[in-house]
Amino acid sequence: MAQDATARGVLSSLRRDIARVEGRPAETLVVRRHGVAVRDAVPLGAARLDAALGGGLPAAGLVELHAAETRDAGAAAGFALALAALSRGEAAGPLLWVATGEALAEAGAPYAPGLAGRFGMAPQALLTSAVRRLEDALWVAEEAAALGALRAVILELREPAPRLDLTATRRLHRRAAGGGLPLYLLRQAGWPVPTAAPVRLVVAPAPAAERAMAAGTLEGSIGPPAFAVTVSKSRLAIPATATLEWNGHDRAFREREPARAAHPGAVAALSGDRAHPARQAGAVVAFRGVA
Amino acid sequence: MRPPLVVSCREDNTQRVHALDERAEALRLRRGMGLADARAICPGIEVVEADPAADARLLSAIADWCDRYTPLVAVDGTDGLFLDIAGCAHLFGGEEEMLADVVARLAAQGFDVRAGIASTPGAAWAAARHGLPPVPHGAEAAALAPLPLAALRLEAATVRGLEGVGLRSVGPVMAAARAPLARRFGRALILRIDQAVGAVEEAISPRWPVAPLSVERRFAEPLSRLEDVQRLVPLLAASLARDLERRGEGARRLHLALFRADGAVSRLSVGTARPVREPKLVAGLFSERLKAAGGEIDVGFGYDLVRLAALSVARLDPSQADLAGDAADRADDVAFFADRVRARLGEQALQRAVMVESHLPERAVLSLPHGPEEPARPAASGPGPAERPIRLLTPPEPIEVFATEVPEGPPLHFRWRRASHRIARAEGPERIAPEWWRDPVEAQARDYFRVEDGDGRRYWVFREGPYGAGAPMPRWFVQGIFA
Repeated sequence: MAQDATARGVLSSLRRDIARVEGRPAETLVVRRHGVAVRDAVPLGAARLDAALGGGLPAAGLVELHAAETRDAGAAAGFALALAALSRGEAAGPLLWVATGEALAEAGAPYAPGLAGRFGMAPQALLTSAVRRLEDALWVAEEAAALGALRAVILELREPAPRLDLTATRRLHRRAAGGGLPLYLLRQAGWPVPTAAPVRLVVAPAPAAERAMAAGTLEGSIGPPAFAVTVSKSRLAIPATATLEWNGHDRAFREREPARAAHPGAVAALSGDRAHPARQAGAVVAFRGVA
Repeated sequence: MRPPLVVSCREDNTQRVHALDERAEALRLRRGMGLADARAICPGIEVVEADPAADARLLSAIADWCDRYTPLVAVDGTDGLFLDIAGCAHLFGGEEEMLADVVARLAAQGFDVRAGIASTPGAAWAAARHGLPPVPHGAEAAALAPLPLAALRLEAATVRGLEGVGLRSVGPVMAAARAPLARRFGRALILRIDQAVGAVEEAISPRWPVAPLSVERRFAEPLSRLEDVQRLVPLLAASLARDLERRGEGARRLHLALFRADGAVSRLSVGTARPVREPKLVAGLFSERLKAAGGEIDVGFGYDLVRLAALSVARLDPSQADLAGDAADRADDVAFFADRVRARLGEQALQRAVMVESHLPERAVLSLPHGPEEPARPAASGPGPAERPIRLLTPPEPIEVFATEVPEGPPLHFRWRRASHRIARAEGPERIAPEWWRDPVEAQARDYFRVEDGDGRRYWVFREGPYGAGAPMPRWFVQGIFA
């Protein structure tokens, strides 16, 4: 009995140490901010993804979202907004979208009517900060990440962003974890580079399902958005990929069964249980030359 | 030794002497004489072209510096300044001491100035330009009487006319019957006389609005480091906070003026989304502002006067925090964060969206700087049944469309930014007509389509104008990207 108690004590102190190293609250504590219990992980509602992520995405801290091409930025942004809607309730404050002017000019600026229609976000719940330099964007994001009063921060950058190295991302992660809010780092058009983010997802668009009508689906229509999400980095290092459909009314993801995919070949099939495949060398990224 | 200096300007098609230095004056050159005459008198003079814009900038810089004496400084013409020192003189030990201080400090900066004090702007103007000692209140008429007519700020033609009838100084003009004077020389003459003696109130127009509250600190030894200024701001803010608290107000716009010992003035101002008076917050805002302006501010010889002013104030009632002390702070947190961002990166750095009544997508949303919450407007017709993209490209980018299945239908594939997109599915059209009350007559209706390519990317494209026989081919654009 005494042995057990000692072992448990050692175990929990080790857990605390690991939590400290990882910069997240220890599991035994219920962290409260502004009277709301901060959950440790936010399940996405897709069994395989959640398993690969160890229960879901961290509720606070840095989450890296990658879009391989500039034209995928719509899907990446939509996925980030869906995550923001999922992770914190309606009571949370506004969402801050920080971006360099270049990123917004290339991929389009957030459009309030679309956000209202798809993610139920009121226009006053969105603050946009478009700045000229990458340094300024990082500063704004860092200042905002410590504010528990925000719902989430989206930091959107265009590759290459040499200033966003391990140190910079670690600062962002610590700030956001301390502030208790998620910071989604959206990177346009580039290959993943080492960062301090505990989770990295590669987001690509997927063909939407058809609109559901009272009598079946409407053929040829474009229904709720779908995302092909690949876990590229996580604590458990289990590769996983899934196609998620966002339901704006329920504010929930639904995993699409691979067999149901009406467009075979649209989703790149990753090896399910083996190591992450080696990156293709010499791939050409679209629009690199466009100023 | 340098030759006498003459500044020339072009007037009535001849080069005339605009200004001259003392050595040139000693050669009996005068203002307004032809440059050829001046050269004939003294061939060795150095001539420079007049630069009125630079003169105006210099005068405005001196006016800036004069803010240290009074907030009410007005520029008078091209060569004068009015300082309204009512209620300020005692801070400098009295009117005469203040006058001496102004003259001495400007002389130290290398300016040769004439100054005068009187109870009316007109009399002060005459006193400064004709070397009168301070004119006591009520004695304006007696002081001005022996001066030439130019002391009344009259037009040259009026002065010539008065001299033509034998009135050569102010005294006889004041003594003359007013009705005939007004009839012959216009009401302006009477007005100038009344303004000079104070029978008619004359207002000067200050360059800056007067701050309701301001605090300042003077230094015998100038502050020569920006860090010292940063340390000083909380002290100034603390004394400003006491005054604000007494009035039950908070500052909405704050202004920091740094007066450099050699006369240059740097001005920084920050706005706040809601009234503040907490010294720590005020200091934080200026610390961001100073960091952002760090490269532009030249400390030079150091600052001998630093002033913090609340340019605009609003009511700020003390509010009671709840026991946990955080529920009420959340909105404040965001507001102060917004203030810091705007102080550092400019007013446009943080924006919020406001819905506007318009069907045209680019006009349906207005981006405003994050500011005080406005009363909620009735929602503009809501999002409606039609779907809108989450990202909008401004302006819409042209795309090349080669073929449509039916003339008015969606494209089969299009080229955008040098890449080809094959359309798998499309929804539409949704027709949006131009706003005839704002757009030019040629504006054409747009047919919008939601399209999805084979990889699942969803775009919002539109065709401007219809297909028609003889009409030019309609143009296609992509305007938005869906999630």
